[in-house]
Amino acid sequence: MTSSLIYSSLRFFACLGSLVLGFGLPVRAESIDFVHDIVPVLQRNCVHCHGGREAEGDFSLNTRAMVADSGYVDLDSPEDSYLLELVTSTDPDVQMPPSDRPRMSDQEVALVRRWIEDGMQWDADYTFAIDTYEPPLRPRTPQLPEASQGRDHPIDRILDDYLAKTGLPLPASIDDATFLRRVSLDLIGMLPNGERLETFLADQNPLKRSELIDTLLDDQIGYADHWMTFFNDLLRNDYSGTGFITGGRQQISHWLYDSLRTNKPFDVMVRELIAPPSKASQGYIDGIKWRGEVSAGQTLPIQFSQSISQSFLGINMKCASCHDSFIDRWTLKDAYGLAAIYADESLELHRCDKPIGETSQAAWLFPELGRVDPDAPREQRLQQLADLMTHRENGRFARTIVNRLWYQLMGRGIVHPLDAMQSEPWNEDLLDYLAVELVNNDYDLKSVLRLIATSAAYQSESEVASEQSVGDDYVYRGPRSKRMTAEQFIDNVWQLTGAAPTKYDAPVIRGASQHSGEKNSDPIDLPAITGQWIWGPLENGTAAGQQSVVLRKTIKLPAGVVAGGAVVTCDNAYEMYVNKQWVSGSKDWTQPQAVDLRSALKNGENSIVVVVKNEGESPNAAGLFFQAHLNLEDQSKLVFQSDDTWEFNPNAPKQVNNKLSRIRGPWQAATVAATLPAWAKVVNQRCRLILAEVSTMGDALPMVRASLIKNTALMKSLGRPMREQIVSMRPDRMTTLEAIDLANESSLAEAFAMGADRLIEQSDGDTDYIIGELFRSTLTRQPTDHERELLMGVLGDRPDKSAVQDAIWAVCMLPEFFLIR
Amino acid sequence: MNFEKERKDAADSIGNSRTPESIVRRDFLRALSAAGAAAMATGAPQILASPSQSDSLGSIEHPRPTADACILLWMAGGMAAPDTFDPKLYLPFKKGLPVKDMLSTFPAIDTAVDGVQICKGLENIASVMDRGTLIRSHVQPDLGSILHSRHQYHWHTGYVPPQTVAAPHIGAWMSRVLGAPNEVMPAFINIGQRLEGVGESEELKAFTTAGFFGSEFGPMNLPYPDQAAVSVRPPKGMKSQRFANRDKLFRRLVDASPDRDRMSDYQQESLLRSMDAAYRLLSSKDREAFDITLEPKESYDAYNTSRFGQGCLLARRLVESGARFVEVTTEYVPFLNFDTHAGGHATMSRMHAEIDQPIARLIHDLEDRKLLDRTLVIVASEFSRDALMEGKPGSNANDQATEKVDEISEMKHYGLHRHFTGGSSVLMFGGGMKQGHVHGATAPQRPLVAIEDPVSIEDLHATIMTAMGISPRMGFQIEGRPFYVTADGKGRSVDALFA
Repeated sequence: MTSSLIYSSLRFFACLGSLVLGFGLPVRAESIDFVHDIVPVLQRNCVHCHGGREAEGDFSLNTRAMVADSGYVDLDSPEDSYLLELVTSTDPDVQMPPSDRPRMSDQEVALVRRWIEDGMQWDADYTFAIDTYEPPLRPRTPQLPEASQGRDHPIDRILDDYLAKTGLPLPASIDDATFLRRVSLDLIGMLPNGERLETFLADQNPLKRSELIDTLLDDQIGYADHWMTFFNDLLRNDYSGTGFITGGRQQISHWLYDSLRTNKPFDVMVRELIAPPSKASQGYIDGIKWRGEVSAGQTLPIQFSQSISQSFLGINMKCASCHDSFIDRWTLKDAYGLAAIYADESLELHRCDKPIGETSQAAWLFPELGRVDPDAPREQRLQQLADLMTHRENGRFARTIVNRLWYQLMGRGIVHPLDAMQSEPWNEDLLDYLAVELVNNDYDLKSVLRLIATSAAYQSESEVASEQSVGDDYVYRGPRSKRMTAEQFIDNVWQLTGAAPTKYDAPVIRGASQHSGEKNSDPIDLPAITGQWIWGPLENGTAAGQQSVVLRKTIKLPAGVVAGGAVVTCDNAYEMYVNKQWVSGSKDWTQPQAVDLRSALKNGENSIVVVVKNEGESPNAAGLFFQAHLNLEDQSKLVFQSDDTWEFNPNAPKQVNNKLSRIRGPWQAATVAATLPAWAKVVNQRCRLILAEVSTMGDALPMVRASLIKNTALMKSLGRPMREQIVSMRPDRMTTLEAIDLANESSLAEAFAMGADRLIEQSDGDTDYIIGELFRSTLTRQPTDHERELLMGVLGDRPDKSAVQDAIWAVCMLPEFFLIR
Repeated sequence: MNFEKERKDAADSIGNSRTPESIVRRDFLRALSAAGAAAMATGAPQILASPSQSDSLGSIEHPRPTADACILLWMAGGMAAPDTFDPKLYLPFKKGLPVKDMLSTFPAIDTAVDGVQICKGLENIASVMDRGTLIRSHVQPDLGSILHSRHQYHWHTGYVPPQTVAAPHIGAWMSRVLGAPNEVMPAFINIGQRLEGVGESEELKAFTTAGFFGSEFGPMNLPYPDQAAVSVRPPKGMKSQRFANRDKLFRRLVDASPDRDRMSDYQQESLLRSMDAAYRLLSSKDREAFDITLEPKESYDAYNTSRFGQGCLLARRLVESGARFVEVTTEYVPFLNFDTHAGGHATMSRMHAEIDQPIARLIHDLEDRKLLDRTLVIVASEFSRDALMEGKPGSNANDQATEKVDEISEMKHYGLHRHFTGGSSVLMFGGGMKQGHVHGATAPQRPLVAIEDPVSIEDLHATIMTAMGISPRMGFQIEGRPFYVTADGKGRSVDALFA
């Protein structure tokens, strides 16, 4: 079955938003609504034998045409319709439904009668026919076809075979420059500069392409910066937006960036998202809490159900959270089963916003792999779900993410659209192979990116897809070109012109990670530890079990913070607030946390408050460790740490929220505890590495990237979504409003002006150099003679700033710049 | 393909066929077919039943339009009907006045329509009431807690937030389905609302969007009417000759590109088409429509009561030049303008002065230019206000008045400070609506709920869309869900409003 056929049979009707109008409205004679009024009646009484694959007595209700052609309905004289005669007949041999089944109610018959009288309205495309494709659950290792023409990369073995069978030619290979441009943009989002281009072209090493791929993937910051865009879209995380104003939404930015920077395995990431070990990754399942009443289809548990289904399985649970889905096999019960895993209280099922008198029971979608215990406490249920979702036998989980990665690099999903994973892939072997590889590589996303990028398929010419051809059933002819995202476009304009801002909004640690991927990192001098372990009053060096106290430091800064952060850990647990806002927390003292303090600390007085808790039943050792390294706006550096200048207060707040409530009572000096050997080990092995990361922030870091900046009108216009909903595909076409912004938006115009200054200065005003450098750093190639001549004519011998500015603009507007081919 | 030549040909063909009907129809058909097969592959919304599929099952027919353009004058923050277009018993300020007795804080005045009164302070609008229809029975749902952001979202998109897909603004629907009468003009223009640096701005952005239609159909935002010209001008400091040269250089580079064989690539095509459209607007005479300083002084002064007044002037100029949908707002800023939680009477006097003259002048100007017949002007707000009642009878909404007193002792207590959803007023001029007509009524005594012919948001939207020639049941399929121009396709046009 082809993708377009599947798509045309999709049908779903929603009733969110139809809240009751209430007082003062007269009852209105509603006309018949096919999907809401008639479909349930037909399903209850007729479809069992006359829908889907069943067509008893040669009568099928699957489509309107089939009903109209059956002769059972007379639209010219509705009362003479044979269908009505059947359903009203009292003759047991004639009546429908048959005499051994329940009769239709008078009300149902009246509805059907009115429906026929009204012309048998039937929503376009609706069908009772059953979509025969059902995606497999388990992973499958496909048999790889023989390699042909020496192309033995597994992806090529599959695709070359596919092309041979379809009778299509192998797409031509791309040259080094095209490859360099494509792979740089795809893996780290940035264009190579002119220097890199020349080095790469000159390099005679036959393995240079795969080495370049490794170099790019090893660029922790570049990789994390670039893939933040993808994951922020997929997990609807952002630094500003609806919901933050009322505390109805929390970021996961710090956790996400750190996960990407350290290349956390994808299954671990997802487990931490579904069953958050700390607040750092909790924002994802907590969704967006709107003030006021929301429809039953948008409560937090239902949002949870929809989000995890879409992000990790490409399943559209939005339909099923209102009624049994018409587009795939998921039902209202499934949607609520997932929701109940998250819900604190019992959840009543609502069909189209109306309660149906059933309570949902926590359950997950594929019981074949195991079940969620509905009687377990919430945390355990979430943990069970996290384990089931990332179960190695859950092939749908792996297929969904590799399909997304394939799309990012190859321009079109193997299943497409990406969030309709119920559809048939155009190449099942390819999808299954990638999925199995992901699992075999312990869910290392970079391994899949490497696998794709090293294939001859990736390194071949992209297809020229005309407006007509993109609508046809998809046939693979080579990669599809991709439009730069808003972030990619802005980043590369910034790189070209030097117009990047110096600060970014995302609360993330952007230093290179020191504790993973050591192979290429240079040894560095690790910062000295000055922090001490502190607590409230101690008896024989111990604190009472379950004791919870507050520790505080007030610090006055002479200037704002440009860069830097802190490392924190606490035996046993802490929640830390800077200027009353929650910034970090953990329950595992062996895993010290890095904290970004740039945006949290201000010029002037700041309060750092840490609510700490000791575990255990009897008195035992307890301590908080903190050390911060900051670079200030006045160029000075500042280090401060936990020591005897901190204060202690026994009145810990009972509830720990995102905003700290007032703490009463007197403050006393904190006690410095003797450092346990186990503590010292953690500090030496982990804290110093983290401090090295946070203290390098701002020093010689790569350019600030648009993915770390709050959404702007310009980025929005270029297609960056608002992230109230999950987004897996950005717009691939340009719009007029966007083009207006590109033509006259002031920050862009300023950037191009800056770029002109810089280019003239670098080149000493040499036109030939300017033209060459402009082409190398934007299109990753030399200008042709014709292009050089053309620009020469415009720029003249001593180009002035405005001419260069316009030339940069014109080149950056070229499709060749905008599209990743 | 010669890009430069093609651009010129396209420009010529536009110049030749600028009669309103033909453009309307052509754009209409183009917009409908734009949801072609290509959309399917990208997950973009697909059109559902439409006239282009009239032979298919379940098709719908679009009504014949009675308006070509729509101007929405948005009284942001909850305009109190009893202090504007639906006066009740007036009691002047007096110490000791019980709040429960307070219905209107302005006396009523006569209008150009016999027997129809509105509030003092709106004399200019009173003089044009014979050109319009006044709905006094517009009702909104309560939504549990009365919040401007959610109610404005509901009014502007027809759907109650949150939604599982990004809902388009009604202007985006018109942009998507109809396009602009003048191809060069953006179809959806939004005037007067700042989206940065004001309270709840993220919530405002949530509905000031084309949603799943994509930004092509989204608003051009012009928060400062007197700066609007800048948005359609070449960048600062760039003279028109340089701007033209820059564009020419771009086109020559496109033609010179070694990538010429990729001309038919759909992404490349869309890019060049959009660049071309942007250049045409930024270099065309039409962009003068955005420059309100070009208006004669007498006229400019008549409108210049405020940013809102300037916005009305800008809206008129834009509609004259072929825009499709223009919204002008008094601007929503929490606790400012119509959002009166205290001192409501004094603020309302200022708001009267802000809106009265510009609205009346807009009606006169459109009429003088013979545009009123085909331009639907709507004055509306997310809900009304009441001195005593939050929500509507039976509501469990929190009382949000900042001064909760039983008796008035100071001027700040005098005014309508609660959010009321049981009955509000909407004015509609031109565009096929009845003239000098009043539809519906609210009770003479509290609760001031609609007691005759209530009009819901979905039915009001159905009426507006019907006037514009869009069936209220028109829908698109997005993520497998049909999404209609009125909530779930259930809006019914209020036929009694049409002339």
